[in-house]
Amino acid sequence: MEKYDHLEIRCPRLGGEVTFFYCRRERNNLPCPHIIDCWEMYFPVEKYLSSKLSREEWDRCFNQAPKNKVMTLIELIEAAKNQKQVPD
Amino acid sequence: MDKRTKFTLSEEEIPRYWYNIQADLPEPLPPVLHPGTGNPITPDDLAPLFPMELIKQEVSTERWIEIPEEVRDIYKLWRPTTLYRAHRLEKFLDTPAKIFYKYEGSSPPGSHKPNTAVAQAYYNKMEGIKRIATETGAGQWGSALSFGGACFDLEIKVYMVRISYDQKPYRRVMMETWGAKCVPSPSNETKAGRDMLAKDPDCPGSLGLAISEAVEDAVSRDDTHYALGSVLNHVMLHQTVNGLEAKKLMEKLDVYPDIIIGCIGGGSNFAGLFFPFVKDKIDGTKPDLRIINVEPASCPTLTKGPYAYDFGDAAGLTPLIKMYTLGHGFIPPPVHAGGLRYHGMAPLICHLYRLGFVEARAEHQLATFQAGITFARTEGIISAPEANHAIKAVIDEALKCKESGESKTILLAHSGHGHVDMAAYDAYLSGKLHDYEYPREMVEEALAQLPKV
Ligand SMILES: Cc1ncc(COP(=O)(O)O)c(C=O)c1O
Repeated sequence: MEKYDHLEIRCPRLGGEVTFFYCRRERNNLPCPHIIDCWEMYFPVEKYLSSKLSREEWDRCFNQAPKNKVMTLIELIEAAKNQKQVPD
Repeated sequence: MDKRTKFTLSEEEIPRYWYNIQADLPEPLPPVLHPGTGNPITPDDLAPLFPMELIKQEVSTERWIEIPEEVRDIYKLWRPTTLYRAHRLEKFLDTPAKIFYKYEGSSPPGSHKPNTAVAQAYYNKMEGIKRIATETGAGQWGSALSFGGACFDLEIKVYMVRISYDQKPYRRVMMETWGAKCVPSPSNETKAGRDMLAKDPDCPGSLGLAISEAVEDAVSRDDTHYALGSVLNHVMLHQTVNGLEAKKLMEKLDVYPDIIIGCIGGGSNFAGLFFPFVKDKIDGTKPDLRIINVEPASCPTLTKGPYAYDFGDAAGLTPLIKMYTLGHGFIPPPVHAGGLRYHGMAPLICHLYRLGFVEARAEHQLATFQAGITFARTEGIISAPEANHAIKAVIDEALKCKESGESKTILLAHSGHGHVDMAAYDAYLSGKLHDYEYPREMVEEALAQLPKV
């Protein structure tokens, strides 16, 4: 268990309480893109994460332009159609 | 001014049309490009998920879109909603401001969300769809859609993020009471879910994964569609029923708001309230109208800063006022500077923000709970934590009126009650949210920038 993992906050996206442990692994074991915004007032989260993430992971989390929702849905439709053709 | 507290319309006065702001935008929304082809998306691209009527509404530039009679009939269960004058809050704040709030918490699920859930269920039913799949976090949208499904006898399948599913039994029970099927995500019912469970059987889930599961469910069955509770243009459109009611009520009272304030997650409740008003700003009839979007953030202000004198605004132009503050020089770190940075924000609101018709403000959760408690102790309503963000900004604006002596009219979009959010209030009231300390060095850095008085 890392130092801050037990701290709890209300997640504005989920609409419920989550721990820092959840936030820092929210996206396939990488942090949620909102983690700095949500946690900065409680401890130096940016400094903490920059010591834990590689440069490439940092960029993947925080330096990507947000996608338009319709675009995200179309990507998901394509992915689901492909899966339909190749059942597991 | 009327001494009354509640202002209502009759059922007959429920609007017959939704207002489509796309008709009045000074510049149209930029087209969405297909990620594969780079060409603008077509209705066929979205057809696996949505009924054609909703896809048409998504891109329509017709100003008025008729609300089907069947939808109006169901709206009558709770609409028109009440406009309140917050006399008790005004008195408590000792402000000359006139505060009104349009309250959406009286719907069966307790928020604005059924305004679109019922409409979406209707259009799906009309197209012969039998099932709708969706995702939900703590269950606000899932419960609204479950209610919508019950109204039109549709099966609703909700993929609920596991962490919330385990922690928040009550919203799941609400969904099941309305007849929906709710499973924790990741689930065994989709390939996306199974892949994740194979990697990590204890995965607490995420909204991203739950969306993938719901879309996969919809795409893999011909009788199933998908529904989204915010962000998309057709959702904003359905919510305008609320703003149109508010406008009619205020016209009857012969008042017009100086400031309209609402909270934004994806943007739907507030868009629904302010779109019919922002039209007057766009066409130049109400150039001074201010519209303030309030989003969650953790830039500390009133609650965590030291007691000090500071400038009241970022530019340091207003008179010195006494407040808890971290100083007007406090600049959030660069990753998250600027308003409306929330990834899932409605393109229509972002567009109006870019064009300069609306403002954005961020509030920290501690201060918003404090505001929510003030509201509960004066107006009686225990508000959803989301709505508390807007209440915080309303209180701030009303206090500015007290300083300046102006009697502005403030209209609050109150999106819902917080009866299923008592865990959040408990965390606040028991001091759990107070336990963490803001880093000392940042407080000192901000303090160094305070003006000497
Ligand atoms: C009561 C309430 N208000 C506001 C919101 C934020 O969503 P939106 O910005 O789409 O209105 C939510 C979302 O769950 C909500 O439940």
